[in-house]
Amino acid sequence: MEFLRAIEQSSFSQWVTGSSSVLAFPTILLLHTIGMGVVVGINAGIDLRILGLAPALPLAPMERFFPLLWVGFWVNAFTGVILLAADATTKMTNPDFYVKMGFIALAIINLRIIRNRVFRDPFIDKKPITSDVKVLAVTSMIFWLGAITAGRLMAYVGPVSGLTK
Amino acid sequence: MNLAHVHLLLNHFPTIGFGIALGLFLVSLLRNNEDLRRTSLVIFFLISALAIPTYQSGNAALETLCSGPEGSCPPGVSMATVRAHEDAALPGFALMELTGFIAWLGLWQFRYIKRTPRWNVASVLLLSILSFGLMARAANIGGEIRHPEIEGTTQEQTAADGTVHGVVRSLGMYVTGHTWVWPSCETLHFVGLSILFTVLLLVDLRMLGVGKGMSFAALYQLLPLGMLGFALNLVTGMFFFIGAPEQYTKNPVFYWKMLFVMLGAANILYFMLLDEPWTVGAGDDAPLTAKLAAGSAIFLWVGVLFFGHMLPFLGNAF
Repeated sequence: MEFLRAIEQSSFSQWVTGSSSVLAFPTILLLHTIGMGVVVGINAGIDLRILGLAPALPLAPMERFFPLLWVGFWVNAFTGVILLAADATTKMTNPDFYVKMGFIALAIINLRIIRNRVFRDPFIDKKPITSDVKVLAVTSMIFWLGAITAGRLMAYVGPVSGLTK
Repeated sequence: MNLAHVHLLLNHFPTIGFGIALGLFLVSLLRNNEDLRRTSLVIFFLISALAIPTYQSGNAALETLCSGPEGSCPPGVSMATVRAHEDAALPGFALMELTGFIAWLGLWQFRYIKRTPRWNVASVLLLSILSFGLMARAANIGGEIRHPEIEGTTQEQTAADGTVHGVVRSLGMYVTGHTWVWPSCETLHFVGLSILFTVLLLVDLRMLGVGKGMSFAALYQLLPLGMLGFALNLVTGMFFFIGAPEQYTKNPVFYWKMLFVMLGAANILYFMLLDEPWTVGAGDDAPLTAKLAAGSAIFLWVGVLFFGHMLPFLGNAF
């Protein structure tokens, strides 16, 4: 707890939460939200295509969107760490934060399995999608939905600093 | 010009616009004219988009008009009539949005299967007549808000009117009075945002050159998904608005957000109506205008997210 308090009271954390500049807390949280839209947006596109939406759309070219997806992911990892440091004593003691991290870990593992199973297959668009891949698409959507819900609820449940409201 | 004038200006468009579109739609059915039918569907769609700020400006007009102690109205203005107008406007507005959505779907299907199915024509006809009727009724009640003939109303009477709650105000108090409603709507608003981003990123980045193996014709199948994401956000967003209208009606950042939503609605029509994007097959480079339309779509919807996010920071919400 002492450690968390020290992080929270570092001059950087104080700038993030205390500065009246729109570049501090508002912009960092904005980037976190745009990153979410990019990561979940692209992921949901892949999942829904696997589940049969827009069947005329080939899967293979969707792999070109993976670099952007990872940019979004790292932007969110980076801004997420800043937001965590700025509010460490509150967020690290909120069970909902660990629920969110759990969902994101599962979603990323799920994404890597989908990439290996679907996008590494040279005949990806030449044969029907098997039902186990469809199950992976469903679990992927459940995990991202869980991550969004847990993330949004961090402003409302458990210890709340009032910062993110 | 104040915000009440904005409402007085905007409030003619939904009723008159839907009237014109309905007339054109009926003529197109009688003459079996596909071009005219598509024109009326476009008008239905654009007017339903314009109905969003029109509805919202009503709350702004109320706050401008009834700004006395405890929201009391000036002599000659009855709060009961204001609330009756609001209660008539919300169902009209909701049906109008549904009509706009179905009309948009008709336009989408026309391009996709080369005709508008019978069920779509029937739904648009029925819904537009209903919403036109409800909106005309709301407009009629709205016209009665100012009563020059009862100029002598005492201040006590109008102040007491401030406690009058209609159905919409009760719904708004339900939203703010129950701790689960706002966070649930927030969560769904973020889900809707992500769904909208799915379509925005795949379609528009493809036009800009990412994943050229996808043809526009194949991506076109995704557009209704994006519209569903928007619909989810319109519904959840309206819960926020009805719950705490004063956070939005006096917030310039919100005006910008709504302006960008209107421009986004116009932007999607490029991909629905013009032949040009359809020339983009698998592996093709998109023409410059398609790239400009795609780039502006990304700019506009990221802008909507930006203004929405900045409501409490640059604006005065919360």
